[in-house]
Amino acid sequence: MTRHVRTEVAGALTLAAAVIIFGFGTGPALAAEIGIAVGAPESATVGADVEVKAIVTSDNEPLEGAVVALSYRTSLGGVDGRVELVSAVTDAEGVAIMTYEQRAASNGEMYVAYIGPDNIETAPFVFTIAVEPEQQQLYAPISGIEIPFLNGSLVIVVIAGLWSLIAFSAYQLVRVGRAGRGAGQVSSAASVTEQGSAWVATVLALTTIVTAVGMVIVFLRTPLAPGDPLQPERYDRSPIAFLDVDLPYSGVGLADESLAETGDALADGEMLYFKYGCAGCHGLSGASVVVAETLLGEVGSFGGFLEDVREGPKGMPGYIPSVLSDDDLELIHRYLREGDGD
Amino acid sequence: MESVTRWRERLIAKTTRPTLKTSVWYWVWLSFLVVVVVVGMYAFTTQWRRGLIVTNMRDRISWGLYISAFVFFIGISHAGTLISAILRVSKAQWRAPVTRVAEFITAFSLLIGASFVVIDMGRPERIFNVYLFGRWQSPIMWDVMAITTYLTASVLYLYAPMIPDLGLFRDRLADKVDPIRNWIYRTLALDWIGSPTQFKILGKAIGVMMLIIIPIAVSVHTVVSWIFGMTLRVGWNTTIFGVLFVAGAIFSGIATLVIVLAILRRVYHWEEYLTPKHFIYLGYLLAAFAAVMIYVNVSEFVTTGFKLEEAGEFAFRQLFLEDFSVMFWFYIIGGLITPLVLMVVPKTRTIAGVVVAAVLVDVAMFLERYFIVVTGLRVPLMPYEPANYMPSIVEWSIFAAGLAGFALLITIAVKIFPMFAVWEMVEEREHEVALEIAQSILADQDMKDDGGDPGAESLVGVPTAEGGES
Repeated sequence: MTRHVRTEVAGALTLAAAVIIFGFGTGPALAAEIGIAVGAPESATVGADVEVKAIVTSDNEPLEGAVVALSYRTSLGGVDGRVELVSAVTDAEGVAIMTYEQRAASNGEMYVAYIGPDNIETAPFVFTIAVEPEQQQLYAPISGIEIPFLNGSLVIVVIAGLWSLIAFSAYQLVRVGRAGRGAGQVSSAASVTEQGSAWVATVLALTTIVTAVGMVIVFLRTPLAPGDPLQPERYDRSPIAFLDVDLPYSGVGLADESLAETGDALADGEMLYFKYGCAGCHGLSGASVVVAETLLGEVGSFGGFLEDVREGPKGMPGYIPSVLSDDDLELIHRYLREGDGD
Repeated sequence: MESVTRWRERLIAKTTRPTLKTSVWYWVWLSFLVVVVVVGMYAFTTQWRRGLIVTNMRDRISWGLYISAFVFFIGISHAGTLISAILRVSKAQWRAPVTRVAEFITAFSLLIGASFVVIDMGRPERIFNVYLFGRWQSPIMWDVMAITTYLTASVLYLYAPMIPDLGLFRDRLADKVDPIRNWIYRTLALDWIGSPTQFKILGKAIGVMMLIIIPIAVSVHTVVSWIFGMTLRVGWNTTIFGVLFVAGAIFSGIATLVIVLAILRRVYHWEEYLTPKHFIYLGYLLAAFAAVMIYVNVSEFVTTGFKLEEAGEFAFRQLFLEDFSVMFWFYIIGGLITPLVLMVVPKTRTIAGVVVAAVLVDVAMFLERYFIVVTGLRVPLMPYEPANYMPSIVEWSIFAAGLAGFALLITIAVKIFPMFAVWEMVEEREHEVALEIAQSILADQDMKDDGGDPGAESLVGVPTAEGGES
């Protein structure tokens, strides 16, 4: 089922301004009332292509060549914003067809807004497209292609072959030493009474073999990438761009410190979780894992948590008290224990 | 004609001389190097204590002098491979006096180069986490593996041909040097007695190593280039980086070898063995690689410049016209074109000319490493102001310590190890003498046959004692 709603934009002030700026000779589009009607499905599934049809009129006449954009409202770290999905240009009938891939698990409010070509402010057309429950998590296509025999095993074979040759050469030195000892008599040096031995060569050869084995072990025990695209449950798409909002982050940390000082312990904890860069590895909501473990609902007692953060286990950087205070840490801990990740 | 035995004795005397006689200047030089290294080590403790904040590397330009030094040192380590392995494989006769020094340069510059990776880490004690969390899908991991392989192989390749000479030092210097060096010679000589069996086994080891070390060396600097080439940065988006890095590595390796040889020749009066011929041949190699480098640069900049993607304009502007233009044009004109010209013009084709070219090449190649690293990171990924980077005093100190450390290792090695491959040089001398004898016999026969002028024609194609063509 599709719905058609009409939004009227009077824009008297805009019109007046346009007339003043451009004087006479302005095109009909400028002086006109822009109307947007939208036809869209009521619901969509993640991963599916969704077609949204917009009809743009000017003084009730179809408007050709108008640019419209489809966006949706979402929030990241407590800040609302609109993410543009797709834009299109209307045809002779004033119809623009916009197709986007449903990536987010929920859409919130969706907008079709008139963007141009003329500089007219119009209210966007607002509607919703529900996202079907029990949807599949969208994941990226497999990066690269599989070519038979051209894989990690081949690399291991090449490296093992190379190291066998190195080890072979090292072993020859052991043999050189043995050959000298077997001969007993030192050829050109009567002055030498004390002989060395082949232990250096043996140590060298053994070191070579240990290094070689070490490398193969690194190969074999390489962990799978936590963001492995083959494992959809480990892969969560985030919005990639926000329109019309200032982001609260500048690299690691909050640009606006007041976001973490609302007095609401859970909300502050969530902001601090961003401020100190925890989200960078542990995921935006503490549950969608990017690099490190899921934390939301998984943290234990505060004492153990504090110890871990201060030391930095498993490659995580340790945070000293002058950087991350115990008080802030307590708020983060509380958020991770009690927060719901929304 | 001087007998091979007497020639050999004089060579041994010249080779062992540094281990027996030490001048005051040696200690002055050594102390200077030690001071620079100690200052650098102090700077490093500051960095370890306070973190990488003491460097001027920040989020936008996160690689700087350390990574440039890493690439540069790994690059000059290619000296040993090229001179030693490639010339050995191609049986170039003139290589014998220069191989040992080249192999030492390889091993030492690899040690210094690899340590710059650790220095660049904020938490260097976590280097072994590579074994716990290393993922071989990462180009950084390939680098660790390639360098480990190369270091192991080049130490073996330095050591194996040195065994006969260590045996010689053990026999000749037993009652002349201190017990520590005596112990080193006894231990490292592996009971070398110079029997045919030992030579045969040793030949097998050297034969295998010289063949596999060439692809290993090529892979090392290719993988180093991939660290850049596989990162999404405008200046590094090129497939020719592997070639550029390997050619540049060999190029700077030869230059470093020329400089080290020239210094040793002057200090230890090795003029008889390191003749102008050796320097000029190395100069030819230098010129050949300068030509390859010019070609690769032209190919790279013309293809990327023709397409010129959006951020490419910024990358080109900063390199050709703005912030890095002095470095860049010095590299092109001073480091690539001038050395080529110096070797092409007969008048400058002298030891001094080659050394000047080599110094220019080494400076230019370091600057090239530096501007590749920094300009690549400087192109903004988002609409922010391009960052600027100038190494801090800590970075300069540690870099200076790296250079001094390299010189220090060579300075110490000169006092302990045989810097000439005596047995290979003797072999070569025997070959030359045999040729000389053959020539004189031929000349005698000509005299008898023709009963007159020993025609020069009959000698065509026979190399002269000076080595001539080979």
